[in-house]
Amino acid sequence: MRSFIAILVLLASAVLSSPAQSNPYFVTYGHGMEEPGNLEITTQTTIGVQKHDLPNYWAPLLEMEYGLTGWWTTSLYLEGASAPHDATVFTGYRLENRWKPFSGEHKINPVLYFEFENIRGASRIQKEIVGYDGAQDEAIRDQHGEHEKEIEGKLIFSSNAKGWNIAENFIFEKNLTEFDEPTEFGYAFGVSRPLSSLASGKKCTLCRENFTAGVELYGGLGDWDRFGLKDTSHYLAPALSWQLSDSQVLRISPGFGLTASSQRMLLRVGYTYEIHGFGQKVSQLFGGKH
Amino acid sequence: MNGKTLAFVVAGAVAFASAQTSAPRQNPAIDPNWVVPAKAAAQSNPLAGKPEAAMGGKKIFSRTCAQCHGDEKNPRKNNAPDLSSPDAQMESDGALFWRMSNGNSRRGMPSFSALPEGQRWQLVLYIRSMAGATKAETK
Repeated sequence: MRSFIAILVLLASAVLSSPAQSNPYFVTYGHGMEEPGNLEITTQTTIGVQKHDLPNYWAPLLEMEYGLTGWWTTSLYLEGASAPHDATVFTGYRLENRWKPFSGEHKINPVLYFEFENIRGASRIQKEIVGYDGAQDEAIRDQHGEHEKEIEGKLIFSSNAKGWNIAENFIFEKNLTEFDEPTEFGYAFGVSRPLSSLASGKKCTLCRENFTAGVELYGGLGDWDRFGLKDTSHYLAPALSWQLSDSQVLRISPGFGLTASSQRMLLRVGYTYEIHGFGQKVSQLFGGKH
Repeated sequence: MNGKTLAFVVAGAVAFASAQTSAPRQNPAIDPNWVVPAKAAAQSNPLAGKPEAAMGGKKIFSRTCAQCHGDEKNPRKNNAPDLSSPDAQMESDGALFWRMSNGNSRRGMPSFSALPEGQRWQLVLYIRSMAGATKAETK
């Protein structure tokens, strides 16, 4: 019952609360950067539906993404986790930076990604799947005391062609708290396209041009000592984004577990609000020229 | 990383952001390194015979372009050219299409390649209709 109420609260908040070039991905990154001076605020929830009577959970996430320049986007994430008959906790923060080294549009556009994570063992958002990430069989309250500092890198390749976006991410993650643990690897692949290639002349919310559909495939690739697919989790996730207005986007993606190690489903729901010219407004607040 | 360090990082990012967004340029010149290839500039607009498509272009323009280039509601930023000006209107359809598709991230112009090609041509069509249009006061 509590889970049901939690889901209702989440959906209600989504209705109350990415813009122009949004793709529907939750895990995969494309080469679109935040526009300089814009702040994008995203609330997102991952609902984990587990196998073998393991408890389901939900993990909310707040992301603030800012376009420092046309080639540098930075983000701060705050995350939490909750499960029925267990606990509801804040599970830490992440600082992310993305750099687009080459100006202009190319057949394949590389982006470099670096993230610092200061999170608890109870983290459940599964922003990406690496190593042997799989079932969450420990209680949140038992894992809350475990601190983890990690660094994560991604090599992002992305292309836009004939209305389609195709993106591939290669992921590595290193635990700094337990440095002896080997570096873990993962991947994410996404393909998407808007439902209409032309925009209608009238203002509308339900027009096809406001929807982008796609599919993601993501999972772990083991670690430095045992690289490969054995015992790893993989998910196939159809995804849909809906541009509600010039500055609001709603996204949903049910990710279905493909292997024995995977969870049954990771249902992700996200809502994004973009504040145009945020940097300029802050600058004016502190007496800067506009 | 403790709380003080985090606060320092965030404050630094805001200060850097302010510096990035407070450099006004009254008459932005086109970056001489941002050269449109001749083949791209020679492309013609496949929607040229469909003026009704410009209405869709106006909608996309207000969503993706107006916050920098300005329209009747939004003032134009100083570092973004006025697209109704003769300088911008002298560009060929293909050149406008290429510039919005590629962007110029070093000068703050994003790439809009994620928009379907049809919508980018609609934008070109709408930009053509802006020649001589009155804009809100430049910011």
